[in-house]
Amino acid sequence: MKKPSVGVFKFTSDGGCQLQILNMERELFDLLNLINITYFPMAGVDSGEGPFDIGFVEGAVTSTDEIIRIKEIREKCRILVALGACACYGGIASIKNQKTQRELEEKVYTDLTAVHSTKAFGIDQYVKVDAYVRGCPIDKNEFIEVVKSTLLQIKPNLRPHSVCVECKLRENPCIFLIEGEVCMGPVTSAGCGALCPSRHRACEGCRGPASDPNTPSLARTMLEYGLTPEEVRLKFIKYAGETQAFKEGAGIK
Amino acid sequence: MPLKNKEVSLLLEKSRLLSQSSMNDFIRNLSASYEVYAPIKKGKQIVFEKVENPGEIVWDYETTQISPKKFLHKPFEKLFSFEDGGKIISENEEIAEKKQILLGLHPCDVRAVEILDKVFSKRYEDPYYLKRRKNSIIIALTCNDAHETCYCTSFSTGPRIDRGYDILITPLVDNFLVEIGSPRGEEILNQYGEALSTDSSILMEYHRLKNAKLEVIENKIKNKMNTENLPELLEQNVNHPLWDNLKEECLACGSCTIVCPTCYCFTIVDKVDLTLKSGQRQRVWDSCMLLEFAEVALGVNFRRERAARIKQRIYHKLYSFEHQFYIRGCVGCGRCIRYCIKKIDPREIIAEIRREPIEQQS
Repeated sequence: MKKPSVGVFKFTSDGGCQLQILNMERELFDLLNLINITYFPMAGVDSGEGPFDIGFVEGAVTSTDEIIRIKEIREKCRILVALGACACYGGIASIKNQKTQRELEEKVYTDLTAVHSTKAFGIDQYVKVDAYVRGCPIDKNEFIEVVKSTLLQIKPNLRPHSVCVECKLRENPCIFLIEGEVCMGPVTSAGCGALCPSRHRACEGCRGPASDPNTPSLARTMLEYGLTPEEVRLKFIKYAGETQAFKEGAGIK
Repeated sequence: MPLKNKEVSLLLEKSRLLSQSSMNDFIRNLSASYEVYAPIKKGKQIVFEKVENPGEIVWDYETTQISPKKFLHKPFEKLFSFEDGGKIISENEEIAEKKQILLGLHPCDVRAVEILDKVFSKRYEDPYYLKRRKNSIIIALTCNDAHETCYCTSFSTGPRIDRGYDILITPLVDNFLVEIGSPRGEEILNQYGEALSTDSSILMEYHRLKNAKLEVIENKIKNKMNTENLPELLEQNVNHPLWDNLKEECLACGSCTIVCPTCYCFTIVDKVDLTLKSGQRQRVWDSCMLLEFAEVALGVNFRRERAARIKQRIYHKLYSFEHQFYIRGCVGCGRCIRYCIKKIDPREIIAEIRREPIEQQS
């Protein structure tokens, strides 16, 4: 069997998800037995412009140039995977969507003639996406699961329920009930193994909405815990403010 | 309650008094032959974990987040591994050799094991559960106190317990009243535990102390669930407006089912390794509160509505469990209330239906 060709592409992001791929020291050689990475500039691989069997895209789309480029990449990839919070739903960069582009551009740049920024969106705002690997950064096991499932042509076993399930299984003290702080875990998709609450830190919601997120109810509880409506809003817009569920939690229509 | 002479002599025959140090020796001796799991302090939580030193055991703990069922029905377990060419290697042999002692289970958790025994043997015999169960000795612990979320008295699953344990320990004053519940319990107690006293008048005094303590606990449990005609009540209130109201509050996070000592649902996953040819089949806890739980092929989902899932949880525990297993599915341990961020309370649900049942509304 010919090894499928794989491309890894970067958009507006900090490169953390690509780094997670490179961090897989234990699995990387076995993975390379299965796939042929032909385009991955961060790893120093640039042997061709495709087409690709699988394309992994990291980063949000935040400029007209990027809109054109993501459409070109979609044409070249048989299967397109959004890698990480930015590519899935805009990520940290999407916080800027709360203000107008002009306001932000003026704060950052002195010469605006060549700046053509757009609101930050996940790549599915512009192209069809076949699979999502969530998180900031991605979880390596989920990445491997998606690669394996793609090769076997089966549905990946990703569990989109709340982080609470994984948190309870790890027997962590509940951030809400024991630590007395607010947490995004009840409405955030699992798969990280409750990484932050296992270190006594509240879930920040980096994996986006869980499968049936009751965000208005959680927002009400956050108010009861003493947060102001503005603080609740900031919780919900941090990583996935463009998703319908988190918009509802933030009270943004 | 007055006991007849014969009952008294039977009770005393099964009772021993152990000092603190002989209790520690008993547990230390057991650890040499068994894996001993008991409630110990871990950060801000009390959890059931392997005991390295008897001093770690927290005898007066309230409850644990995850119940000791995790040692019988594991959150994650490998059922078998498979190799290229179809060869299957079962895990059964390994399970069969591991002998364990589950120590410090409160009566509600002991009675939850009784329920799981029925679940995993009534219609289909589950070899993984049953092998672990056979190799497990249960040492129960009388509760130290009752808490706001406790409602075991509603199901007669505590704080008094008369079955389901091999040994029952009640810490009293500076000593431990130890009662034998099975021949296996008697055997290990005789073999590993040195009794401080078998004097009948002393033992009788300790039984009186235990009884007084239980009465205090029972009287403290005020917030109960009225279980009278519960199946009929639920049958008539499937369309009660309360279910729709609950969906606005419930986070559908699944915590209530993960912490429940009688929830047993699981999903099966095949974890293929990076050869894409070999791997293992695993069993993982699942939950009816989660959207994906009732999803079938082509994305069809017969419990898509959150209200339907909330109703499923309550109806299964308090209604259909009896038809399935001839036992109620709740032991009143209160974990689902205690670990619910929204404080959704089955006692309140039943009380609310009783206040305004559907038939009287029209």
